Amino acid sequence: MNTVSPQLMTVFREEAEERLGEIANCLLAVEAGQPPPDAIDLLFRHAHSLKGAASMVGLEQASEIANSIEDVLAPAREEGELAPELVDSLLQATDALRQAVNGELSPSPTATPASRPDSSVRVATEKVDRMLDAVGEAVIQRRRVEHLVGPHEVHSDERLEEEIDREQRLLDELQEAVLDMRTLPLSSITGRFPRAVRDLALNEGKEVRLDIAGVETQLDRVLLDGLADAITHLLRNAIAHGIEDPDTRERAGKPRVARLTLHAEPRGDRVAIEVADDGRGVSASLYEQAQRSGSLVGVLAEAGFSTADGVSPLAGRGVGLDAVKRQCESVGGRLEMESAPGEGMRATILLPVTLALFDALIVERGGQRYGFPIASVTEVVAVGDTTTLVGRPSVEVRGESIRLGDLARAVGADPSELPASPQALVMGEPGSRAAIACDRVVGQEEVVVKSLGSMMTAVPGYLGAAILSDGGIVLIVDPAYVLRNAGRSATVRRAQPTAVPEPKDAARVLVVDDQFIVRELERSILDTAGYQVQTACDGREALRAISDGGSFDLVVSDLQMPELDGLGLLAAIRSDPEHARLPVVIVTTQGSEDDRRRGAEAGADAYIVKNEFDQSALLETVGRLIGR
Amino acid sequence: MYLRVRLGSEHYALGLEHVLEVLELGDLTPVPGAAAAVLGLHNLRGEILASVDLAAVLGLATTGQARHLVLVEDGHHRAGLAVDELFDLAALPEPSATTGSEFLLGGALVDGALIGVVDVPAVLDSVAAATVSEAA
Repeated sequence: MNTVSPQLMTVFREEAEERLGEIANCLLAVEAGQPPPDAIDLLFRHAHSLKGAASMVGLEQASEIANSIEDVLAPAREEGELAPELVDSLLQATDALRQAVNGELSPSPTATPASRPDSSVRVATEKVDRMLDAVGEAVIQRRRVEHLVGPHEVHSDERLEEEIDREQRLLDELQEAVLDMRTLPLSSITGRFPRAVRDLALNEGKEVRLDIAGVETQLDRVLLDGLADAITHLLRNAIAHGIEDPDTRERAGKPRVARLTLHAEPRGDRVAIEVADDGRGVSASLYEQAQRSGSLVGVLAEAGFSTADGVSPLAGRGVGLDAVKRQCESVGGRLEMESAPGEGMRATILLPVTLALFDALIVERGGQRYGFPIASVTEVVAVGDTTTLVGRPSVEVRGESIRLGDLARAVGADPSELPASPQALVMGEPGSRAAIACDRVVGQEEVVVKSLGSMMTAVPGYLGAAILSDGGIVLIVDPAYVLRNAGRSATVRRAQPTAVPEPKDAARVLVVDDQFIVRELERSILDTAGYQVQTACDGREALRAISDGGSFDLVVSDLQMPELDGLGLLAAIRSDPEHARLPVVIVTTQGSEDDRRRGAEAGADAYIVKNEFDQSALLETVGRLIGR
Repeated sequence: MYLRVRLGSEHYALGLEHVLEVLELGDLTPVPGAAAAVLGLHNLRGEILASVDLAAVLGLATTGQARHLVLVEDGHHRAGLAVDELFDLAALPEPSATTGSEFLLGGALVDGALIGVVDVPAVLDSVAAATVSEAA
């Protein structure tokens, strides 16, 4: 065991990640025939630094791999030229090196899975949030003092008023500084994309150039966490469905090499992240549908997003476009898409800069207050006469008929009677708008949103809670959830058409893991073995897939996941009479007896440890449990 | 050492290794959609704290007289457990494991009265799990 401090290890790991990213990007440039002038020196330098640093922190294996990379580069350095044939093996060595760097770096069984080198960031976020809590409390405390002294006294005493004003300014400054600490540049997640695009393009037989711009754009750390998957999905869709193969492109008069761009920029109080390709765009029929409904993203999300005629192993599975859309909406953002036949596709994710602080519209329903991100509310209307349309209540707002939902019903509260003339918040995109009725609108306040805590992460419908200036707690409603549930008692749930028709006899397996790489690995192994595989990126999404009638024969789940972890998922499945007997295989990096015991107690049917993970073990276990 | 509390007419004890502090119950904000045993959210100096109806978890009739919160933590979760009355800190004889409740480590006999020793992690896990299944 080495005696390196965790802090030093974190610094090493972060630096290693950066260097590995630069090595990969440089290798990709060499492969593309556009090596930077000092490519070999640059590669050599990074490999050398990694060798030294790894050895210093006691990671001998990593050091040896870095050394072997140096060995491969040495002759090239003498010749002054790196043969493109070497790129593949060097990339593989880079992967091995990354594994060595990370794999040996999780000595504690509860550490997050290896290839997420931002665990230190998580700790830091907690600390930042604690500071944010303290600042928020200080603001409230200041108001309390002002209240005690009395507003009249404050105004009549010039010196007192000045002191209080100064305190307020200091607190504002402090709050801003703390919020600033929660943001990180987009570049903290873009390092992996060039490599992912290369691999995906290679796999699909496409030629793609990825240009990334605006990576210095700052975003909330919490947002960045979920964003990587969403962007990966958009890139995958572009490569699998949008971009044509080189010959087709040539025939259409386009350059053989397709251009894929990832571009981020601040736009007002939001950040726009754009993924654009110059591929074939949507089909004429989808285009017409989108014109009719007024929302391309709605049509694509519903259709399961498949512009290609054939079925590709890459897209149409995994997180669907509707999941990307949902994810954007759940953090108060939006997904927009633009495309025309033959003219490529542009997907734009619009996000708030920070999740932590925003203006909330405070409403009252059934004696309780709720907050809505004000950006999600189009307008507030008084509800007069309601009409029913196909059995659903709706309200007319300036000539448009909008379905009417009750906030209490939408979040699962007791629906007490609404007043004779309630108010309603109009929300959502044109075409899918809803008016959410409440007793009355109370006001508007800038709030710091906090998590409901570990006990309540699985409660749907809320972004969190906030403490108002009067010291009371207000639940902050998830606008996307409320929109989905508005008037659910009267709505008919339409089954989502699946993107890919599959043979009936294949057993259905649900793969749940928050890491894209692990998910895809398991998916491809099971897929190759003839199973019909669907994926989910956390327990909550998995539960949704199961309850949406996924009729799975088996679930393969990770243990450590955000939102709802593997044990939570297991407990939920076991407590649901309809699915209680569904076999669940837990796959995890943890190998301790304790975790095995907890898994077994929660009712896991089998337990595979990632370190011991191999294809045959997974297939054998799955085959045994499904009974074939 | 244990913190002894009262729920209705029964006496219970919470291991001090899980107890961080005791608080007045105060105003709670209910959370629609959460597990039935979640009473609501408590403002603990700016931190949002879930408060749990301990009597409901243990399967007792809720007295509606809870006046205090015991802030507990088990490494996974952190919550306030609502209790009717706080007694004292006391050492207890080794609890015998014959209570038949999954939420008790056992019962300890003190001066002829039976005190249930609460399994705090089991209580917290069950509430978190119940929250999950209601969400499903």
